[in-house]
Amino acid sequence: MAAINTNAKPNYSSKNKPVWCPGCGDFGVHAGILKAITELGLDRSKVAIVSGIGCSSAMPHVFSTYGVHSLHGRLLPVATGMKLANEELTVIGAGGDGDGYGIGVGHLIHSARRNIDITYIVMNNEIYGLTTGQASPTSFVGAKTKSTPFGSIETPENPLAVAISAGATYVARAFSGEPVHMAEMIKNGIAHKGFSIIDVFSPCVTFNDFNTYEWYRSRVYKLDGTEHDTGNKVKAFEKATETDTNGWSKVPIGLLYRESRPTYSSMDIASKNGPLVKQAMPSKDVVKGILEEYR
Amino acid sequence: MKSVSIRIAGANGDGVESSGALLMKVASKSGLHVFGYRGYQSIIRGGHVWYQVRLGDEKLSSHGEKIDILIALNQDSIKNQKSHLNDGAVVIFDPSKVSASEIDGKGFRLVQIPLLDIAIKVSGDPIMRNVAAIGAALRFVGIDFEIFKTVVRDMWLRKGEKVVDNNVNIAMQAYRYQGVSTLFDIKGDDKQRYAMDGNTAFSIGTFAGGCKFYAAYPMTPASGILHWYAAHQNKGALFKQTEDELAAVNMAIGAATAGVRAMCGTSGGGFSLMVEGLGMAGMIETPVVIAESQRTGPSTGLPTKTEQADLLFVMHASQGEFPRIVVAPRSIQECFTVGSEVFNLAERYQCPVIVLLDLYLSERVESVDGLDLDSVTIDRGKLVTENTTGERFKRYEITEDGISPRSIPGTPGLEFIAPSDEHDEYGDLVSDMYSGIDEYVEIRRQMHSKRMRKIETMLKNEKVFTPEIDNPSAEYFFVTFGSTTEPVQEAARVLNESGKSFGVISFSYIMPLDKEKTRRMLENKKLIDVECNYTAQLAQVIMANTGIDIKNRILKFDGEAVTGTELARLAMETVKNFK
Repeated sequence: MAAINTNAKPNYSSKNKPVWCPGCGDFGVHAGILKAITELGLDRSKVAIVSGIGCSSAMPHVFSTYGVHSLHGRLLPVATGMKLANEELTVIGAGGDGDGYGIGVGHLIHSARRNIDITYIVMNNEIYGLTTGQASPTSFVGAKTKSTPFGSIETPENPLAVAISAGATYVARAFSGEPVHMAEMIKNGIAHKGFSIIDVFSPCVTFNDFNTYEWYRSRVYKLDGTEHDTGNKVKAFEKATETDTNGWSKVPIGLLYRESRPTYSSMDIASKNGPLVKQAMPSKDVVKGILEEYR
Repeated sequence: MKSVSIRIAGANGDGVESSGALLMKVASKSGLHVFGYRGYQSIIRGGHVWYQVRLGDEKLSSHGEKIDILIALNQDSIKNQKSHLNDGAVVIFDPSKVSASEIDGKGFRLVQIPLLDIAIKVSGDPIMRNVAAIGAALRFVGIDFEIFKTVVRDMWLRKGEKVVDNNVNIAMQAYRYQGVSTLFDIKGDDKQRYAMDGNTAFSIGTFAGGCKFYAAYPMTPASGILHWYAAHQNKGALFKQTEDELAAVNMAIGAATAGVRAMCGTSGGGFSLMVEGLGMAGMIETPVVIAESQRTGPSTGLPTKTEQADLLFVMHASQGEFPRIVVAPRSIQECFTVGSEVFNLAERYQCPVIVLLDLYLSERVESVDGLDLDSVTIDRGKLVTENTTGERFKRYEITEDGISPRSIPGTPGLEFIAPSDEHDEYGDLVSDMYSGIDEYVEIRRQMHSKRMRKIETMLKNEKVFTPEIDNPSAEYFFVTFGSTTEPVQEAARVLNESGKSFGVISFSYIMPLDKEKTRRMLENKKLIDVECNYTAQLAQVIMANTGIDIKNRILKFDGEAVTGTELARLAMETVKNFK
C-alpha cells in the first residue's frame, strides 16, 4: 500500500488546545511561530520543536510537527543533538526564562559560540509561572515574589548581552503584544543560518503583576527604521544593555545584531558527506582499515 | 604457560608510558601475547608512575602480581618497587642516577647500564635512555633484535633515517652490554595480533555497530573513548566535546531521537550529572548508549585508580522506573563485541543501555586474537518509514510486547512529540490537564505497564541475560563480573594447576537478569564472590534476584587492580575458613 501524503495541505496545528492561562503571552508566541513557519512554507515533517520545562514547554504539543518536550534547562543540547544528526531539520527551541537563563544558561553560551543552526525563542516573563510565582533570573531588583517576599536583591541577568558576547549570530527581542512584529523576528531567525535567539517579553498575567502588557507597551520601541546598525557588535551591546536598569524607560525590540558566520554543521568533518542520519553504516573495509592501526 | 612481567618505573614526564607502548609493540610483533597496565597519578609532571608489560606465550589475563624485570629510571622506583620484585628479578638501572644499595643483592640480578651516557653520546637527547633500557629488556626475554629494528623503522621513518638509526644504535648498545643476556625462555608464535586497550576496543565495536554520534566531556578513565572518536571523526561518526555531561547525555538523546545511533560516555562523577537525562531516555523511549568507566570513589576519589563500585548506582539511578540494560564487558575482546551489539539492543527495546567499564578495563592493553567483523549485524528494531493508514501516528502505541513503532523525524506522516511527561499513545500529555481523571489514570497505568513490559520481552527474546560458567563440575566457584573476570579466570587456572578444583561464574549482562536460569546455575554450589568494592554489589544483585546469599567474599577496594596469583592466594585462605 502506498504511503498517504499527509502533508498535502500543511496544517501545523495539532488537536491539542493550549493550556496557558487566559491572556498569557505565550498564546501570542504560539501564533507567532505558526505564522512564521506557515509563511516560510516549511514541510511539517522537517520541523522539530524542542522545549524544556515550564509553561513554555507546552509549545511542541500544539503543533503537528516533530518535537521533544525535554528536561528543565536542557532543550538546547537536545535541539543541538537533533540538528547535528540531521541538518535538514528546521529545529526550533521554545523555552522560558527560568529554563534557559537560569538552570540551563550554560548551554546558551555554548550553543551561541558553536553557531549551531537552530532558532531559540525564549518566552521571558521575569517570573517562574508553573511553580506558582518565584523570582526568575530576569526578575528585577525589588521584585516581590513568593521566593522574594521582601523584594529581590539580585541584579537581573541580561540574556541578550550574554548571547551577543557569547557569539550568537542573530539576536533579537520581541514583545508578545506586538504579534506581527514578533512573527517577523521569528521568521527571520528561522531563515538565518546559525544560532538565532529571540527573547520575547511574554507577560505572565497570573503571577507577575508588575511586568504587565501595559507596562511593556508603554516602554517598547521598534529598532526598525532607527539608525541602529545591526552589524555592529558594540552598538548591539548598547541596545541590549539599555534594559539593564530597573527603572526602564525605553526598551528596544527588533533585531539587535546579525552576523554571517559558518554554522557548526557546515564545518563539522563527519557532516561533510551530508546529514548523519542519511549516511550508511560503516563498511567492514573501513573498520578493517582502522583495526590495522593496532597491529 | 610462561610469562614475564616487566615494569618500567619513573616520574611523569620520563616517557614511561611511551616506553611501555614500544616494548609491547615489539613483543607483539614477535608473536608474544602482551598485557599492559599503567600505575599513575593525577599529575602531569613528577609523581611516581609505572607501566607494567607482561609477556606470555599464551593469552594473559592480568598484568601479573610480581615484577620479573624492573627498569628503575629514578631512585623512587627502587624505593617503591622493591617490595614487588619476584625472586630472582632483574633490576636494570643507570648507576649515575640510581643506587641499588637499598636492595639486597642476594636473590636479585642487579644490572648497571649507563643508559643516560649511551643516549646522550648517540643522540644528545636524555629521554632516549628509555630506548636503551628497552634494548636491554628485549635481550633478557630473548626477543630478536631484528624485530625491534622493524618496529622502530615503521614508527619513526617519517621523522627521518637519522631518528631510526639513533634508536637502533642506542638500543643495540644496551642489548649487547656486559651482563645483559637472555634469562627468560619465552617464545612467541607467528601470529600478528592486535594490541589495544578496552576503550579502543569498545570504541571500534560501537563504531562497527553503527554509532554515528559520540558526545562527551573529558573524564578519566573514559577519555580514551573521547580521544578515539575525536581522532576518527573523518570516518563517518560525529564527535562532540560538550560543555558538561548534562549537554553530553542530552545531545546524545537528541541525536538518537533524530534517528542516528548515539552514545555518550563518562566516569561516575559525570554519570551523576547524566542521571536526569537517563530517566528522560527511559520515558521517551530513546535508544541511547551511555558508557560509564568507573574509577575509585566516592566523589573525586582516586581519579587514576580502578573500582567496581558504581554497579548498583547505574542500575538504580534516576527517579521512577523504566527498563534499562546494564552490561559490564569482561575482556578487551568483549569490549568490542558488546560495543557492536548494544545499539541493536537499545533500538530493539527503545531504552537506554549502560555499558559499565572501569579503569582496569578501559586502560589495560591486551593482545586480541581477532575481532569478528562478520558477526556484526545491524537491527534497528521496530522502525517504521511510512504511514500506511492515514491515521495520526501512535509513537507510543500500547502493544503486547511493550515495544511501539518508532519513526525518524523528517519522515512525512509519522510526526510525534516525545515528552518527558507521562503521555498517551500519541505523545500527548496526560500530566498537565488530565492526571487524576479516571480515563487518564487508566492511560498512565497502561503506558507505564507498556514500558515496563519490555523487560519481559527482552528476557524472552535475548540469550545474553544469564551468567556464564567455566568448569561446571568444579568444587568451588568464583562469582564475578566485568573487568575482574579475567584475573579470576587466571586464579582458577593457577589453583587448578596445583590440584585444586575451581570454576568461574561470570556476569557481563547484569540488568535485566534471567532469575530462574541464574538461580539454577548458582544453587547448591560453593561460591566465592570476587569484586572490587566494599559492599559486594554483585552479591547484592544476586541475592535480590535469586535469594542466594554468597557469604564467602573477596573484596578489594584499595584502587589497585586484582591479579590472578593474588586472588589464588586469597581464595586458599577463604577455602580454609569456608562459610
